[in-house]
This record gives sequence, structure tokens and C-alpha cells, in this order.
Amino acid sequence: MRRETQNILLILLGGALLKISFSGLYLRYVQKGLLPLLIAAGVIMVGLAVFAIVQDVRRGKAAAEDDHGHSHSSRSTWLMLLPVLAVFLISPPALGGDVVSSAADTNQTQRSRNLLGDLPSGEVIPLSMTEFVTRTAWDESGTLDGRRVKLTGFLTRADGGTFVARLAISCCAADARPLKVRLTGDVPSLPDEQWVEVTGKVVPKSANEKNSWVPSFTVESTTSVAQPVEPYES
Amino acid sequence: MTITGEIRSSKRRSGPPRLKITSLEVLCGILVLALLLQSRLVDLLDVPKLRTASTVFVAICVQAMPFLVLGVLISGAIAAFVPASALRRLLPSKTALAVPVAGVAGVALPGCECASVPVARRLMQQGVAPAVALTFLLAAPAVNPIVLVATAVAFNDTPMMVVARFVGSLLTAMVMGWLWVRFGKMEWIAERALARLGDHDGTSRWAVFAESARHDLVDAGGFLVLGGLFAATFKTFVPVAWMQTLGGQVVLGVIVMAFLAVILALCSEADAFVAVAFSALPLLPRLVFLVVGPAVDVKLIALQAGAFGKSFAFRFAPATFVVAILCAVVTGVVLL
Repeated sequence: MRRETQNILLILLGGALLKISFSGLYLRYVQKGLLPLLIAAGVIMVGLAVFAIVQDVRRGKAAAEDDHGHSHSSRSTWLMLLPVLAVFLISPPALGGDVVSSAADTNQTQRSRNLLGDLPSGEVIPLSMTEFVTRTAWDESGTLDGRRVKLTGFLTRADGGTFVARLAISCCAADARPLKVRLTGDVPSLPDEQWVEVTGKVVPKSANEKNSWVPSFTVESTTSVAQPVEPYES
Repeated sequence: MTITGEIRSSKRRSGPPRLKITSLEVLCGILVLALLLQSRLVDLLDVPKLRTASTVFVAICVQAMPFLVLGVLISGAIAAFVPASALRRLLPSKTALAVPVAGVAGVALPGCECASVPVARRLMQQGVAPAVALTFLLAAPAVNPIVLVATAVAFNDTPMMVVARFVGSLLTAMVMGWLWVRFGKMEWIAERALARLGDHDGTSRWAVFAESARHDLVDAGGFLVLGGLFAATFKTFVPVAWMQTLGGQVVLGVIVMAFLAVILALCSEADAFVAVAFSALPLLPRLVFLVVGPAVDVKLIALQAGAFGKSFAFRFAPATFVVAILCAVVTGVVLL
């Protein structure tokens, strides 16, 4: 592959990284903390390519052709085009119900007991799914019982039940772990994958080893919402 | 598929001088085609499994690129600013003694496995013994502070896991280094891997730095994407839920978790969070997962094949796999 093509590929790939960084789409793929590294990587890629192009132009065409002669970059370099095309043309969506249904239940593995503080006071407490399932799995004193809680997630159905689910990632979407809560009471009849805010109360002691620590939740009201900017919890 | 096809056809057609099609024209052709067929491509991928796979693929690439860039920058800096003689003075002259030094030096590279491959290759080019560079390659992604802190956060109920991971990974790296001293052959490593890039004469050091980094990035980038492609496919199409039913079968658990570490190709900064999720398994198989993952996985095998050649990767990867399992099991039995 010619040097010019390599440089264009680098600019495209760096540009793709910068595009998802500045448009916020990176949150579909990686965790929030990676943003500065992504921007730096994009800038460096584009910078290295531009530097090489400027050098080649200054040295004149002949030198560039000569370089090409003994640069034996393999065909694999072409593969760098794949993520570029994926980002610019397809822009894959955030992970959803497909992962929840195929992955192992991981509710009980969230953090552990000693990280739990007191619940905030208030009529309706907005809680992350992580905190909610952690409390139902680990907290034996029942701090959640009787409290009205608001959860945000997407709907998914399996084994005759309706669940509100959310994925948690620690690095990128490849390590996504599902968090699930089974809905009872006024179960919404919205389609799968619809993002919702559900308000209601936990069914005390409903999370146990037999149901992989998936708690039940009595729904009082449901609001459909748009997919949050940060689709994953971390 | 179409890509290789077009390369081949461009080669065939490049014969007659009048109609010269270079990679540049091929690239433009692919881009135009992709733009024209965009909506059809999107429709084609509109199947839940394929959507998941494409998201995971992009996620792995996006997540790994910054670390690869870090790796090629360090590699470029070594090429431009660290003379071979300085490295030789820094390391013990006896290779068998330099191996543990390189293992511990891995603590200093705060990245995951994608960063360490270009650095290890550069070290070899600068005259460091392959055994020493390979030990560094294996140790760096597993024993650096970021990975250990992540492990400690994930396993905050069992702090011994952090110690066991550190010891197991360091042991794996050093054993592989010593095995290379004893059995390794230079001819397994592709010649191009050891060829030094250009000379310093005439060009400024910064130009050498930029050109080395760019060259390494172009070289490794494609293989990283290839590894991401494999990992995304495995991750999406190999069902993992049944793993929870393995329960207390330790031997089976060790074997399954070792293979899982290879095919999932998780970043070493994230694998602890996945390992902790396999709560139905005892600690030992999960330790095997943490020790094998950073040492050998599909993404890493692709990167190694790109950097050192196929005949190296197909010997080194299986050997590392076995050694890593053994080291993890021994460490786990002693410490956990």
C-alpha cells in the first residue's frame, strides 16, 4: 500500500475517533472517562499522517515513491477502513435487549455491602439500577422496603415476565453486564427496548439465589423517555 | 472479501503502464461504493445479533486505539531518543537475569496489551534480547498499577485476588522469557520485525520519532481491527449464560475460563469486572481468566502475528496459553 493511502486511512480513522468524541456517540461504545484519551488518540493519528504528508511533499515526489518501494506494510492495513466505515456509515446503536437475554445474570455481583450509605430522603427517590439491585441483593436490613423509587432503563421480556434492564460497563461495550428488575403490578405494555422511567416499590425479600438475585418491583406509574445520553451505567 | 478482491484485481491491472490503479484509487472506489450502498448496508445489519456484533466491534476498536497510540508513541520515542547502548547498560548483561528485570519493568507501562506489542518489538529492534522483550510484552498489560487497582475494585471482598493476579502474571511472563532463552529460535521471528527503520542521518530526531510511530500505527492498526472482529464475533455468538451452570467443577471451570479469556479478548483493565460476574465459579478459575487474558487472546494473537510474523505467533501463543494456566493454578493453590 502506498504511503499516501496509509496516511489517508490514518486521517479517516483519527477523524472517526474525533467524530464520535465530539458528537457524544462515543458513549454508546466506551465509558465516559475515556473521552480525553479518545480525543488525544484522534489528534495524534491525524497529526502523524499530516506530518508525513508535509514531509513527503517537501522532500518531493521522488523520495515518496522511493519510500514506497521498500515499505512492506501488509494488506491488513486495509482493515483499518472497517471501523471508519462502521462509524461514519452505520453508526452502530447502543447495546440493548439482545445482550440482556444472552448474558448471564449479574445482579448480585455489583460492588458489595460496605459501599452502601443511607438512602436520600424524599417522596420519590431516583436510584441507579446498580444501586437498586445492589441494595436488594446485599442489604438485609431492608432500607428500600416501603420507599418509592424511580428507575431508568429499557423494557425487555423473557420467560413470561417483563423486566426493566440496564447495562453496566467498566471499560467498553464488550464487557457489558446486564442489570435486571422484574416488573409486577401495573406492568407497562410498551414495546421491547423502549426506554422508561418506572416509579414504584420493591417487593421486600424478592431477590434471592433462586432467581439470580433479580428483585421484583411493583410499578405504580411508567413514563416513556428517550434513550439517555449515557446509555450505560458504570 | 471485496477488499482483498479489489487489491488482487488492482494488482493484475497494474501491469500495463497506461491504466495504473494504485491503492489510492482502490480506496476512493471503496469509499464511493460504501456511500452508494449505505442504506442497503444499514438494512443488512438490522438483525439484533449483527447489530450487537457491530456495536461490540466498534467498541473494541475505539477502546483499544488510544492504547495502541500510546504504545506506538513510546515505541517511536525509544527509536528516536534511546540509543541501543543505553538499553544495554540498563539491563543485566546475562539474559536469564534480565528477564525478571523486564517483568518488573512492566509495572511502568500504564496500558493494556495493545500498547505493549509495538513497544516490545521496538525493544528487539534496539538490540534487546527477544526473551527480555517478550517478558516485558507479557508482564506489562497485567501487572501495571491501573490494572491492579481495577482488580482491587472489582474483587473488593477478596484482596488476595490482586496479589494472586500480580504473582501469576509475573510468573507467566518470566517463565516464558526463560523458556525462550532455552528453546527460542530467532528464525521464528519474521525478518521485517527486526529490520530497523531508516537511519538517523540527515533527519531530525523528531522526524524519526514521528515516522516510527506512524509506521508502527499503520502496521499494527489493521491487526488490531482483525482481533476486534474476531472478539466481537465470539462475544456475540458464543452463549455465555450456561457458564453459570458449571458450578463447583474446578477443573472444567479452569479450562473453560482459560478459553473464554482467549476468545473474549477483553482489555486487561476491564476483565476483572467480568471475572467477578462469574460468581457461581470458585476463585481459581476466575484467577486463570485474569492471568490468561492479558497474556494471550485473539486480539493479541492478531497483533503479535502482525508484529513478529505468523510462525512466531503460532508457537508463542499456545505456549503462553499453557504456561499461563499452569502459573495461575499454582499461584491460586498457594495464595487463594
